[in-house]
Amino acid sequence: MEPYIRSTDITLTFTPKNRDAVTALKDFRIELNSGEFVSIVGPSGCGKSTFLNVLLGLLKPDKGEMEIGGKKITGPGVERAMVFQEFGLLPWRTVLANVELGPELKGESVASRRPRAQELINLVGLTGFEGHFPHELSGGMKQRVGLARALATDPEVLLMDEPFAALDAQTRDLMQAELLQIWDKHKKTVLFVTHSIEEAAYLSDRVIVMTKRPGRTKRIIKINLPRPRGYEMRLSPEFNDIKLDIWNNLKDELNARE
Amino acid sequence: MNRYLSQYRENEEPILGWGFIVLFLLVWEFIPHVVTLPKGLALFFTTPYHIGAKLVEMSTSSEVAFHFYVSATEFVIGLGLSIAVALPVGLVMGRFNTLNAMFDPFVTAFNATPRLVFLPLVVLWFGFGIWSTVVIVFIGALFPLLINTYEGVKNIDRVLVNVVRSFGANEWQLMKIVVLPNSLPYIIAGLRLAIGRAILGVVVGEFFGSDQGIGYLMAAAAGNYIVDVVFAGLILFMAISLVMTMAVKKLEDRLSRWRPEQVKTF
Repeated sequence: MEPYIRSTDITLTFTPKNRDAVTALKDFRIELNSGEFVSIVGPSGCGKSTFLNVLLGLLKPDKGEMEIGGKKITGPGVERAMVFQEFGLLPWRTVLANVELGPELKGESVASRRPRAQELINLVGLTGFEGHFPHELSGGMKQRVGLARALATDPEVLLMDEPFAALDAQTRDLMQAELLQIWDKHKKTVLFVTHSIEEAAYLSDRVIVMTKRPGRTKRIIKINLPRPRGYEMRLSPEFNDIKLDIWNNLKDELNARE
Repeated sequence: MNRYLSQYRENEEPILGWGFIVLFLLVWEFIPHVVTLPKGLALFFTTPYHIGAKLVEMSTSSEVAFHFYVSATEFVIGLGLSIAVALPVGLVMGRFNTLNAMFDPFVTAFNATPRLVFLPLVVLWFGFGIWSTVVIVFIGALFPLLINTYEGVKNIDRVLVNVVRSFGANEWQLMKIVVLPNSLPYIIAGLRLAIGRAILGVVVGEFFGSDQGIGYLMAAAAGNYIVDVVFAGLILFMAISLVMTMAVKKLEDRLSRWRPEQVKTF
């Protein structure tokens, strides 16, 4: 089967003013199947987030192309949506207005976008908080809004840039489980960037381990654990073997810091 | 007794504020009765009572009403024009580096020059009267607004820009949804400065370049040694400044309902 998302070798170099040029990605290549949950782990600054921004259509690579559903990516599109690490909620908008952002920019009328926004707010468990402003919410609640907002345009692909990194450990566990439920129900393709080996192993069908900068694919690890995955599974020996495998691939990259 | 004390506690700030004004006026009123002022000062001295009486008298005069109307018109037109120019130019300068590079030296040079320097030219160009003052008000109010708007746009949160862009927003939508709301606190601060500059512009313009308006009335009265009128004009200007500042404060409160409330700390 043809992969849903594919890239030729992507290279991207940043040239900041008065600084040396930094090659964030070098010949990075990826293939994603429709409905697949794939995580990317790698050392800090290896270009994981940069790659997400290329896929989102906000950054143009110096070399290489990305294709989604057979169409070349030239900018943002409705079939992709991102959940941002620092939430990225508009602080002067209520929860409801934040969730409605995507449909609003698409030019959807209030009548058509409101019921869907409400449905998504219910889905992420924020019923009753529609009129709240972001500063009145906890970190977990803010990221629920971020997730609902990303789902509001009904994208095929969810890009998640360390979405739970700013949350406390318990909230994180809870959000992971809920994300899996939503993914299972809505059948999105998910590309999930994280620093947490455990998170990557628990959520994904495949885990891509990246090298240190300039980032390339070091190894792709398939997670053959049955779904639905419960919390108990995270304590099983098979799960620990997978974590160890990811770790062994990653640790050389961490040691080999310049 | 206790009840009065608790009532005082609740309203401590306004009571202290107004109380001090009353005390100040009382002391001023009684100075001539207690101290013998030097002759030069005594001749041109007045007390709150006389100023108050003058204000009451002026408020019924149609001539004064006309001058007040002139000053208010100059203020409103000058400030309005400066808002209409400063907001779009500031937004555009903040968003497009090329335009900023073009305009920046111009803005910096104009802003650093005292407004008064332009007055002789402005009077030559726009004539002795209301329009010269409008131009002076405009020049005065323009730059604080422009510079603050620019700073606000420059201080944009990159993440929010990316969020809105990722949903396919064009530059216009980006302005409306992120840039403008994000810059509002800066714009409001600029507006407060601009109001001060605008009132200054009205006074300066009317002192030196007009034969109408409250500022002209004050200058003319000072020329004829009528101190009551000078003070009355001064109080009018103070009152206008105060009212305008309070109006901006109200506007700011309305626009920032989404902000976390200030937490009281020790």
